[in-house]
Amino acid sequence: MELTLLIILPLLGALVVGFLPKRRPELIFPVSVGVSILPLVASLWIMWNFTVGEAGFQFTEDYTLSESLGIGWRLGVDGISLWMIVLTGILMTLAIAGSKSITDRTKQYMVSMLVLEAGLLGVFLSLDLLLFFAFFEIVLVPMYLLIGIWGGENRKYASIKFVLFTAFGSIFLLAGIIVIAITAGDAAGTITSFDFRQMLTLDLSPTTQLWLFLAFGIAFAVKVPMFPFHTWLPDAHTEAPTAGSVILAGVLLKMGAYGFLRFNLTLFPQASVDLAQILGIIGVIGIIYGAAVAIVQPDAKRLVAYSSVSHMGFVVLGIFALTSQGLSGGVFVMISHGLTTGALFLLIGMIYERRHTRMISEYGGIAKVMPIYAGIFLFMAFASIGLPGLSGFIGEFTVLIGSYMTLPVLAILAGSGVILAAVYLLWMYERMFTGPVLNPKNEGLSDLSFREIAILVPLIVIIIGIGIYPKPVLDRIEPSVEVILDRIQATTDYQPPEYGRADEIVQPQDVRSEIVGEHAGEEAQGEEESG
Amino acid sequence: MNNASFLAVAPEVILLAGALLVIISAVMLEHSRKEWGFIAGLSFVVAMVLSVLQWRAVDTLIAEGNDLLFFSARNLPVLRLPMVVMDHYSAFAGFVLFAVGLLGLGAAWRLVERLGSRGAEFVTLVLLSVAGLHMMTMSANIIVMFLGLETASISFYVLAGFTRERPESDEAAVKYFLLGSLASAIFVYGAALLFASTGSTSFYGAGGMKNFFVTTILGEPGVLLLGIGFVIVGLAFKVSAAPFHQWAPDVYQGAPTGAVGLMAAGVKVAGFVALGRILIGALPSQIDDWAPILAIIAGLSMIIGVVLAAVQTDVKRLLAYSGVSHAGYIMMAFVAGVDGIGPMLFYVTVYAVTLVGAFAIVGVVSRHSSGGSPIEDWSGLSRRSPEMAWSMLILLLAMGGIPFTAGFVAKLSSFTAAASADYLWLTILALLTTVVGLYVYFRIAATMFLNAPDDDAPAIEAPTPARMTIAAVVVTVVVLGVDPWPLLDLVREALPL
Repeated sequence: MELTLLIILPLLGALVVGFLPKRRPELIFPVSVGVSILPLVASLWIMWNFTVGEAGFQFTEDYTLSESLGIGWRLGVDGISLWMIVLTGILMTLAIAGSKSITDRTKQYMVSMLVLEAGLLGVFLSLDLLLFFAFFEIVLVPMYLLIGIWGGENRKYASIKFVLFTAFGSIFLLAGIIVIAITAGDAAGTITSFDFRQMLTLDLSPTTQLWLFLAFGIAFAVKVPMFPFHTWLPDAHTEAPTAGSVILAGVLLKMGAYGFLRFNLTLFPQASVDLAQILGIIGVIGIIYGAAVAIVQPDAKRLVAYSSVSHMGFVVLGIFALTSQGLSGGVFVMISHGLTTGALFLLIGMIYERRHTRMISEYGGIAKVMPIYAGIFLFMAFASIGLPGLSGFIGEFTVLIGSYMTLPVLAILAGSGVILAAVYLLWMYERMFTGPVLNPKNEGLSDLSFREIAILVPLIVIIIGIGIYPKPVLDRIEPSVEVILDRIQATTDYQPPEYGRADEIVQPQDVRSEIVGEHAGEEAQGEEESG
Repeated sequence: MNNASFLAVAPEVILLAGALLVIISAVMLEHSRKEWGFIAGLSFVVAMVLSVLQWRAVDTLIAEGNDLLFFSARNLPVLRLPMVVMDHYSAFAGFVLFAVGLLGLGAAWRLVERLGSRGAEFVTLVLLSVAGLHMMTMSANIIVMFLGLETASISFYVLAGFTRERPESDEAAVKYFLLGSLASAIFVYGAALLFASTGSTSFYGAGGMKNFFVTTILGEPGVLLLGIGFVIVGLAFKVSAAPFHQWAPDVYQGAPTGAVGLMAAGVKVAGFVALGRILIGALPSQIDDWAPILAIIAGLSMIIGVVLAAVQTDVKRLLAYSGVSHAGYIMMAFVAGVDGIGPMLFYVTVYAVTLVGAFAIVGVVSRHSSGGSPIEDWSGLSRRSPEMAWSMLILLLAMGGIPFTAGFVAKLSSFTAAASADYLWLTILALLTTVVGLYVYFRIAATMFLNAPDDDAPAIEAPTPARMTIAAVVVTVVVLGVDPWPLLDLVREALPL
């Protein structure tokens, strides 16, 4: 019930905003911020009541919608999706609060944002593949409108490119879902079955796994985005309004990585093991390519957009390292990247509102006129680079440790991504903020207002908080990650490296029986006895 | 006549009586437009209620072990050579057709008011055409099916040319008439060949086609195959499946907008239901012969439909071509045989309702244009009329197959049906063309939401009946998108006997 409520709250909020009286346009902004706090509170409540150390899904709901088609309103949250919904709640509230400058069709804008939030939350909470796909796809529509209506000059091109790229990926996902649902339906004695937890008991042949992995994988690779499917991202990010970029980078990209974690690794373990190396290489290409292209961008927003490609490469590498640290680190990078990149987009949006240009060369020396802004910008740049003590460090360092165990060459190459990040971000900082104020237009810039600082402070606090004390976050991620690894181990002959497993938290057999139900649990135990 | 046999034809009786009343009231009363609307609307509502009663009567008859649901003109009910049949299938199709008729009339109401005294003829033709369409769905005999087809088609030829002061409308009517007659002729030829090879015009009954194939295996099935092929081609013409779609864009563009939604949607429903009646009802044993034909037509329709829709600059033409692609998506469900009937009915229902709504919005937005609806009319609609823009957006998303609209469920069930019948290539083709389709629909969305309105763009005023039609359609599309399960269960029961 809690999770359904969490998805419905933003929709209710959208209704409230949509039916605000036409004569009172000044109400739209405060009411929207107000209603966006509700899902945030709900997601924090779920975080608070989440049982640490329990590996399976919590707050599960299972309400059959169609018996014969095997479709159900199945929701649940584990240590991975928990952080995704909290991230969604935080960033959405901040993004809406940061949208004061939207004056054209404000009501439709706020409704789009809130519908988007409901879709995103649904993606992370679904335990039914049809439901997942429905949410995965519906996200397109509000995002299309956000980019297309309130975006920059080239918004038409960027928005349709975004739709076509992601829709093209999604059809493979849908094809894959149809195939696996028919297979699962045969096993369950119904026409189709979309129950994720039931699918985990399927025994798919390696060939089937490979094809389905690719079908799911293309959709997720476009969303992540992984090289070479990333070309929609710079356009979409650059043209989107500030809040759109924040949500795109902060949450939307995570849908892809989350899909890999939740579905590809667990449903197609053999294919995951077989393809791990290739995907790891693609991840590293993303890290280096994204960083290298970011260095030469003249447009600050585009630079940050390419840095997303680089950071998401770390996530992919972490996931396909197939080690406990790699997976946990990958999830941590997802959180950290959401916070830091979201903040960077907010910051660029704030200066864009003042100067209406994002070209780095238009600025220079503005640390003198906007000291608070410059300070926060530098802080966020460091957080994004991965300065120890801030969130970015924990994630990327853990990914590097995790991937070094299984993919040492790739881990070393990926390490260069951290250095390149310092190059592109600090060089941008230098060009924009240091030195004398050369452009006279920059002399009169006003520093951040109280509202703008209030939006950024929570992000700063969280980034420092989880950077210094990441244990609460990792404690919740690790059991869920172990479940995935145990599933891979139980169904393939892959053995993750022995050292450094977080096994003391849960015993594997408990975990297995937790996730795949009693039947599979017996099987797993039987295996252990015989072995 | 017993009660059941009267109930079987009661909707037709009501619609014809309504049609007569409208004409009489037009002669007897002056300024009686409201009365026509009332009579026609009431006829449709009563017919919808009768469809529900039919469904329940069939339940009772089957529960009593009485499977005599066939009727002919004399000594009813009959075992040999029945003429009409009352089953779940025809009852469901009837309900949809009458609902589409009601919605279409609401969308066309401004046209009726503008036509003055000729409005009565318009309303009469609408009632007659829907009666003909329903006759196609309830026929147990291919001759009756042809009669229904012609009743509907001739009414539609006239409706297409109703605003005859415009040459485009005239052109549309002539084009529709010539090509439509050709299609009818092909259909009749196919019927004749079916008769020649099976010795019967009836689908059911002791001497009907279905029984013929139970007892006989044709040594040389050439004539039969030709007959099946011609019947399929004739109906493919009517539902505008490629490569028999060329008439659709010109007719849609030229015909009065108020009539197009009803024409396009009604013919699609009745055409596909009739196709199911022949193929699944009468010729289920020949599935290996007709399924590949349908798969090819379906594949061609998808490709040609979306590709040509992508380059259109007129929304009415665009909807015509998108209709071609939807004909493909609907037709692909047939390859699953009897398992495809449920998905087909669901899809055709959703599409018909969506189409009527879309043309109602076209009528509201492009009322000053002569016939067509150039895409410039839609510029900046989200500023000029947010309600219309958002309604159209939802309908476009439904046509594109975006989740939480009925269109997604329709596509999903149709695609799943084809995939489980091992037509994987068709499913993949359908998925690929869906992406192109998204481009088509998002292009209209972009014009509505992203472009600035022209300075001289007229204000949007929606008359109440059109508004009601649009609201009903949008609500249906969303409700069926969120909670399609009751309807999905219902259509799975609605199989032809």
